Amino acid sequence: MFPVRREEELVVRHLPDETLIYDLKRNKAHCLNSAAGLVWRHCDGQTSLSQLAKMLREELDIPAGEQVARLALDRLQKAKLLQPVAVAAEGPRYSRREMAKLGGAAVAASLVTTILARPAYAQASCVAQPTCIGQGCACNPGDHCCPGFQCTGVGNFKTCR
Amino acid sequence: MRKIDRLGWAAGLSGMAFGLRIGIRVNKPEVLDSLESCLPPTWEPTSAPIVERLYSVVAGGNAARPNVRFYHLLYGGSARLARTLVLEDVFAALESDLQLYVAEYARRRVFVHAGVVGWKGRAIILPGRTFSGKSTLVAALLRAGATYYSDEYAVFDAQGRVHPYARPLSLRTQGSVRPLRRRAEALGGRTGRRPLPVGLIALTGFRPHGRWRPRTLTPGRAVLELLTHTVSVRRQPDVAMTRLQRVAEQTRTVKGIRGEADEMAAALLERAEEK
Repeated sequence: MFPVRREEELVVRHLPDETLIYDLKRNKAHCLNSAAGLVWRHCDGQTSLSQLAKMLREELDIPAGEQVARLALDRLQKAKLLQPVAVAAEGPRYSRREMAKLGGAAVAASLVTTILARPAYAQASCVAQPTCIGQGCACNPGDHCCPGFQCTGVGNFKTCR
Repeated sequence: MRKIDRLGWAAGLSGMAFGLRIGIRVNKPEVLDSLESCLPPTWEPTSAPIVERLYSVVAGGNAARPNVRFYHLLYGGSARLARTLVLEDVFAALESDLQLYVAEYARRRVFVHAGVVGWKGRAIILPGRTFSGKSTLVAALLRAGATYYSDEYAVFDAQGRVHPYARPLSLRTQGSVRPLRRRAEALGGRTGRRPLPVGLIALTGFRPHGRWRPRTLTPGRAVLELLTHTVSVRRQPDVAMTRLQRVAEQTRTVKGIRGEADEMAAALLERAEEK
């Protein structure tokens, strides 16, 4: 298996031990730790899983290189940071407990951290009202927004506006 | 928009804030005086006839006939932003939208929803959502001797320094719907004027009897947390990431649950002094 990283519609920033990626298509920001960053950078369609594992062992001193590489590919795939053609890594999957036994738990625990970027309106200050939900305040569908406002938004970011 | 233009406008004002030209027009001149408190900090009046964002305030009130009242209306461009019988609600909606517009579209600045104080020449940033207790914590820090910068936005420049966004603090009290507005000086603090480098970023959430035992975040995770509260993140993610990366690499970011604001203020000031 020779995974290929996605490159289009991404903003990438490299930090000394981490990689930050903003997905313009999905409005999600990802933080890759050193192991996931190294795997992602080398997903060029010419590097195999065993080569990635070797790099993790040699460059980051991770003994469970193959397991961590496999898990990293899985996490990157879920975060949509690999080309869709790169199928999930074959072979056994490891739980966090199993990774702990193999000595790679700390690295595996935070391979990829993701947030959904909030739309600007979700950052508005809430205008509190006594009898209804005021402008800019968080709401759920069916809640009673003040006259002239509706509870609208994307995903979990619904506000009266 | 043409329909709104035809409503008949009696007075207006225009100004610049953070590089944006903004206009407000009203149908009753006496309403104009009340608008001053809604304007963002750094507002500079101009006489420019062309603006990027135009607000229209229609003051309703009682009609000539008994038992008839007209709604007060607020438009931002052609979109209706508020329709209410309480004029103060129009002002609150105007202030909220105006702040958000400036924060999203400001030129050369990145706005992060956060409280900010200055302490020994460096800024302490307290990112948080609305109703997360930012202003309460900022007020406690002012009482402990810190300098006021903002209870709403941390405004970052290209060097990663924080500029003041010093509107009066908006303090919510139990039993009162509308927040109390207090100037920093009324709380025993001073207002900062010059930009500061960042000394500490503290992400906190209030929990009754909570104990402040923070963990330090890596720079990457710190940027992620700041992006969560960045107003223009969807519009200019590359600019926001570059600025916030610079900030996070130069400073320490801690995260944890906090208890009462006064205890937390002392702990924060102590941590801000650590090298």
